[in-house]
Amino acid sequence: MNLPAHVSARTHRQRRPEQVILFLVSGQSFAIAADTVKEIRSTDSLASAAIEFESLEVPKVRHVIERDRRMCYVVNGCSHFGLPVSRPALALVLRQFRVAFLVDSVDRIAEIPAVYALPLAFSGEERTWYRGLAYIEDHVIPVVHPGGFLTREQFEQLDRLAPGAAAQPHAEGVAPA
Amino acid sequence: MIPAAYVPDSFVLLQLGGRRFALPASRIAELSPPLPMHTFPHTSALVSGVIVRRSRIVPVYDASSLLVGARSSTHRFYLIARREFGNASELSAIPVDGECELITGEMQPRAPEQPAYVAGRVAVGDEFVDVLDFEALVAQHQTAGDADRTEVPS
Repeated sequence: MNLPAHVSARTHRQRRPEQVILFLVSGQSFAIAADTVKEIRSTDSLASAAIEFESLEVPKVRHVIERDRRMCYVVNGCSHFGLPVSRPALALVLRQFRVAFLVDSVDRIAEIPAVYALPLAFSGEERTWYRGLAYIEDHVIPVVHPGGFLTREQFEQLDRLAPGAAAQPHAEGVAPA
Repeated sequence: MIPAAYVPDSFVLLQLGGRRFALPASRIAELSPPLPMHTFPHTSALVSGVIVRRSRIVPVYDASSLLVGARSSTHRFYLIARREFGNASELSAIPVDGECELITGEMQPRAPEQPAYVAGRVAVGDEFVDVLDFEALVAQHQTAGDADRTEVPS
């Protein structure tokens, strides 16, 4: 069931339909625009290429991988959203940001008619995490903002700390602070 | 003697955790039947999730945790109230335990020792019921929550 078309303009942020990937992190459903994801890889297939490092400033990042000659930071989904620890099986490698995002599983790809604005009652970090909310089959699911995983400052910190990342241009992969 | 120009205020009486409170009726849109609440990770204090009511996504405020010290597990309805955000307003849902009642009366000043989210008191029969200032209630909880942002409600 979709929200009917007469929903007020205030409720809508974007009214164009779009394809989203529905995925799970620690049992919680999320959606992300399909065109923002470059590839979906198993963590096993990335393990050999991942370089482990510790960053006290950005504890949700513990690995870096090289994709297309760019260093890409691996963000743990549980840590990012403050969810209980789970065992991620997949990584969503983003297209415009130097981020690979660890998730438990991908549910499916679906078309949503619109992304509804996050209510103003939500005033915390979630306003950075989410573009808005989707209503899919009687469930409200947050639509993840691909630029919300790491801030500009966090990219800069990681670029200073990560092995092999010092020379990386960050024209791409920079999120608003 | 009541002056000719006197117009009593209207309030909606609600029950939370066995206690009665009142909200100005001008703030209330409707009393909604039970609906599934959808939750997702966030860091906003007092907000426990969202419901979908009349084609709108409405945030749910867990007022009972602040007012009676525990999240209600028996709520049967949602009181839908308007909340102001500067020039914008947004519908907000408050889970309530029982049916609500519309009353009229004159609001009396709150006692000095009462918290800021009590706007005043209104007489209901032999007792006085606290009239809530919803904005102050949320603001107080958010201020308290800012000091403890490490735990993310889900």
